[in-house]
Amino acid sequence: MRPGTASPGVLRTTWLTLFSHYRRHPGQLAMLLLGLWVASALWSGVQAINASARDSYARAETLFSASLDSVTRRDNQPLSLVTYLSLRRAGEPVSPLVEGDLTLSDGTSLRVIGIDPLTLPGESGLARQQSDAASLRDWILPPHRARIAPENADAARADSRLPPLEADPSLPPGTLVTDIGVAQRLLGVETLSRLVVAPEQSLALPPTLVRQSAAALASPGQLTDSFHLNLTAMGLLALIVGLFIVHAALGLALEQRLGMLRTLRALGVPGHTLIIAMALELLLIGLLGAVLGIVSGVVLARLLLPDVAASLDALYDTDVASHLSLPWYYWLGGLAVTLGGLFSAGFGMLWRAARLDILALGKAQAWRARLHRQLRLQAGAGTVLLGVALWLGWRLDHQPNPQELALGFAMVAALLLGASLWLPPLLAGSLGLLSRRLRSHPRLQWALADLQLQLPRLQLPMMALLLALSANLGVGSMVGGFRLTFLDWLDQRLLADMYVRPPEAQYTDVAAWLEGQDEVQALLEARHAEAPRLDAEGQTTGRTLALFGITPAPIMRQSWPLLDTATGHEAAWQALDAGDGAFINEQLAHRDGLAPGDPLHLRSPQGPVMLTVAAIYPDYGNPRGEAVLSASHLTEKFAATPGSLGVVLRPGSRDVAGLQAALRERFGLGGDAVVDQGAVKRTATEIFERTFAITQALNALTLAVAGLALLTTLLAQAGARRAQLAPLWALGVSRRQLIGLQLGQLVSAATGTAVLAIPLGIGLAWALVAVINVAAFGWRLPLHIFPSQIAMTIVLAIFVAALATLLPAWRLWRVPPRQLLQEFAAI
Amino acid sequence: MKRSTLLLLLATVILAGLGKAFWPQDTSPQAGYAGLGEQASGFAQAGPGHALAFPEDHGPHPGFRIEWWYLTANLESADGRPFGVQWTLFRQALAPETGNNDEASDSPWQDRQLWMAHAALSTPQGHRFAEKFARGMALPAGQGQAGVMAAPFSAWIDDWSLAAVSADAGLDQLTVRAEADDFAYRLALTAQGPLVRHGEDGFSQKSADGQGSMYYSQPFYQVEGTLRLGDEPIVVSGRAWLDREWSSQLLGATQRGWDWFSLHLAGGAKLMAFRLRGGGSEEGDYLSGSWITPQGQVTALGEGSLRLTPVKTDDVASRELPTTWRVEAPDHGLDVTVSAVHPEQWMGTSFPYWEGMVTLQGSHVGEGYLEMTGY
Repeated sequence: MRPGTASPGVLRTTWLTLFSHYRRHPGQLAMLLLGLWVASALWSGVQAINASARDSYARAETLFSASLDSVTRRDNQPLSLVTYLSLRRAGEPVSPLVEGDLTLSDGTSLRVIGIDPLTLPGESGLARQQSDAASLRDWILPPHRARIAPENADAARADSRLPPLEADPSLPPGTLVTDIGVAQRLLGVETLSRLVVAPEQSLALPPTLVRQSAAALASPGQLTDSFHLNLTAMGLLALIVGLFIVHAALGLALEQRLGMLRTLRALGVPGHTLIIAMALELLLIGLLGAVLGIVSGVVLARLLLPDVAASLDALYDTDVASHLSLPWYYWLGGLAVTLGGLFSAGFGMLWRAARLDILALGKAQAWRARLHRQLRLQAGAGTVLLGVALWLGWRLDHQPNPQELALGFAMVAALLLGASLWLPPLLAGSLGLLSRRLRSHPRLQWALADLQLQLPRLQLPMMALLLALSANLGVGSMVGGFRLTFLDWLDQRLLADMYVRPPEAQYTDVAAWLEGQDEVQALLEARHAEAPRLDAEGQTTGRTLALFGITPAPIMRQSWPLLDTATGHEAAWQALDAGDGAFINEQLAHRDGLAPGDPLHLRSPQGPVMLTVAAIYPDYGNPRGEAVLSASHLTEKFAATPGSLGVVLRPGSRDVAGLQAALRERFGLGGDAVVDQGAVKRTATEIFERTFAITQALNALTLAVAGLALLTTLLAQAGARRAQLAPLWALGVSRRQLIGLQLGQLVSAATGTAVLAIPLGIGLAWALVAVINVAAFGWRLPLHIFPSQIAMTIVLAIFVAALATLLPAWRLWRVPPRQLLQEFAAI
Repeated sequence: MKRSTLLLLLATVILAGLGKAFWPQDTSPQAGYAGLGEQASGFAQAGPGHALAFPEDHGPHPGFRIEWWYLTANLESADGRPFGVQWTLFRQALAPETGNNDEASDSPWQDRQLWMAHAALSTPQGHRFAEKFARGMALPAGQGQAGVMAAPFSAWIDDWSLAAVSADAGLDQLTVRAEADDFAYRLALTAQGPLVRHGEDGFSQKSADGQGSMYYSQPFYQVEGTLRLGDEPIVVSGRAWLDREWSSQLLGATQRGWDWFSLHLAGGAKLMAFRLRGGGSEEGDYLSGSWITPQGQVTALGEGSLRLTPVKTDDVASRELPTTWRVEAPDHGLDVTVSAVHPEQWMGTSFPYWEGMVTLQGSHVGEGYLEMTGY
């Protein structure tokens, strides 16, 4: 055999020899697979959710109604056939649409869209769709046809009310499209929901109707980008934490096989054969882990998807299929990420194996010099990353810009990575410091020195723990802070005890009657309108702004939250009352860079109107920009039709139910027309909780993975540790004491980690509320710090560390003294 | 027989063109035309001995499958530029009226009629056109998006209309209007002669096997009005020809298309002539026409008394179209060359065809309209 080459037989033998290591240490193999499995499962789970949701958005965006402008009544009431026909007869190219929700016999809810194919603008999505079975004749004549998203086809076929169905994969999930007459019958209406028109067509509309451009409504894909970016970041975090486990396992496997490798090399196995054999081993393990991970990722995604779908629906009103549909590249992507992660973790092992010094025997103290060099390197890299994070944070804080969401995440990543790189140097430093102080306590000093010895091995799981803890704290602070702010804001905004939405014809009567009731303290009128935005020269900008009219009653002034004003709250309210001032929401201010005092140009039915931004108010949860005017001016200038009436009751007379009953009896108002404040608040809170359900679930999973990392590391080195502990035992230290020492070591390391996680978590919380949130949603939250959460984080860290020590400790407890003696003798 | 075009148009456009959303792309002309040749069971059949009655027959005949109100006008501006106008409303029944409606609902959307309209303005060098679609609606007369009322006469789709100026005007005094993105017109039509029944007292046979349509015309309109071309208003005057035709099976199964002429001759006589390609005796072309005297007397023309010969073709919309013809009616001393004012009068509508103004040279001078389908 020529040097440097190896026959397949040699490769095979080498490979088998190397792999036999795992036969002796199945725990290491299990740990390796476990790491890969969790990392890849969380990552692929998140990706599966994203891919599925994106598919839903793509379908929603190609739906005809997404690309067409809408015409509705200003008062949001449905339109009559007469209105539609009179527009058509006036030459306006509008097409009628009926929309509504239909509950199938099995409980599934379908969004039914009824169209008139003859007037539907031709370039829109539906006109492009083809199907081989249907014809216009079938569509228009009984028994008609309906197209349905494939997901819902089976459920719908069981419902006898529906016409013959065709599955149409281009329809968004939960959508059924049919002829307008059929839709009206299914939904039990005779009116039209809205009219649609091609965006390029101009329309002359009567003042009671308003056009909303399709472009003004951001597509669900855009709106939800930040949500998915959040999920991706969470998935990435889980992947990194999982790869820490893999790295630890591989490092251990190499360490323990160094002797075997040297023997193999000494027996003549060429270096590259060794590398190939080890790479093959990695590949095999990687494939196995990836397959396991992807499969469980899909299972995980299935479990989480209903929550995600509910969150997205609540946040953005977008329908996401609640079951998965995964494109082919999803599977490849999952495999690639897992294998890529594995090889990046295994690269160090291969590199070291390649440069193996055959003659080097165990250099007992060499690790110390190596550790110090490594710690210096880590501290250096960590400093650079923290510097980058600081710089990005400063930049983002001073120049907020929605485009910089990705930069925000980059900052968070740099912050987390930089801090975790600093963790081992900090731990090592504090250990050194402590051990100098504890010269008079030999046992403690030994424990510290021993912990330092373990540090190279422990540093990765500790870093994983740091990441998980700070993510937990940061996300927890954000969600908790958001919750506080949001509930507070709800209280401020929901001033009235109940809300009445009378039909337009009854509006004045209802208002007058309510005014006359003794227990009513104030009536807060609210109206909605829309107006086209103009630029400073009075030219159309193509954007419309939602306008909201409020009644600036004293109770409203005291309570309505304002973030920033030009000249104080009192002046802002006076400007609103006088009609020349408007309040704008934070989203609008952020997006358009408007500040109090800036002009806002709008087109009203009477001509251009210039308003001054008097104040900025928080408007959590609203994806759109909005401006507030006084209801009376909104009515006067923008022809806003009546909206809801907020009824504030006198203190002491809180008989909401009684008033509701009276309204129902007198005006026949029922159902949705009268809502009490409690119900609104409950709904809002429910939506809020659901929104963060997914974040919290992922967060908990990440922490669990970090705990696993710690546990597997300890388990993997349990054997080696016993050999180190055996002499102590032989010297007379009881096993109880030994276990106590170990527990103390781990718990103090974890506590140190948790202490570092606190500032890091707060930094993360700040980044989330002040940078990411602003970029993603357009509003900024106050930073709330919850001492109880911090305490919880420390407790959690200690708990995880203790839990991770427990199993090895229990094993140590159960080892017969004879074995300990043997191990001692073997040293 | 331009009407057949329309039929085709109706059937195919509506079913295939319009309904391209719902159909696999199956726009080969054969498939398109097949709809018009298809057996029409359940529908009323046009035939000889079906006496026309006015004003009732100005209105729709929902028992027949297809029907149209088809107006063409040869106009001239004050400075002598030639313009042409087309306004057409097509009706098609998707299924025979059964009398007892099987729809349980009284929804206004439950109707079997489809409507389609074409409007075109031919200019000295160019051609602009637009189309509209509507479904019939089960609403009181006159309230739908599209429809026709017999008296007072009114045919409309959206804001396009062809309507009598007064309740007792019949078809004698009409106003026609249409507005599209790049053109519009509003014309007043005054009939200078009587209604004209083609074929056998209004039954116009369309193939040797005997199927055909009910067909009458008002070819004697004097026109005054205004066109708008872009932003330019142009005052025009001239002549117009209105065709009314309905049928349930217009074409023989083997007929591929037609060439149809409506000609105003100097001296006041009119000629309607068409050639259905295929479906004649021995699978030749089927020829038919009407010689109309200035007083409105009609002589039917056919094989032997009418010759239509393509003379020259032009490449229009990637097709070879005969834009110059020799038209002969020897019994009436007619031998003219009929030429398109220019070839670019293509109707690129959902179901495309050529429809445009022509001029006459030869034994007679004059002007008129030519329609060519199935090329």
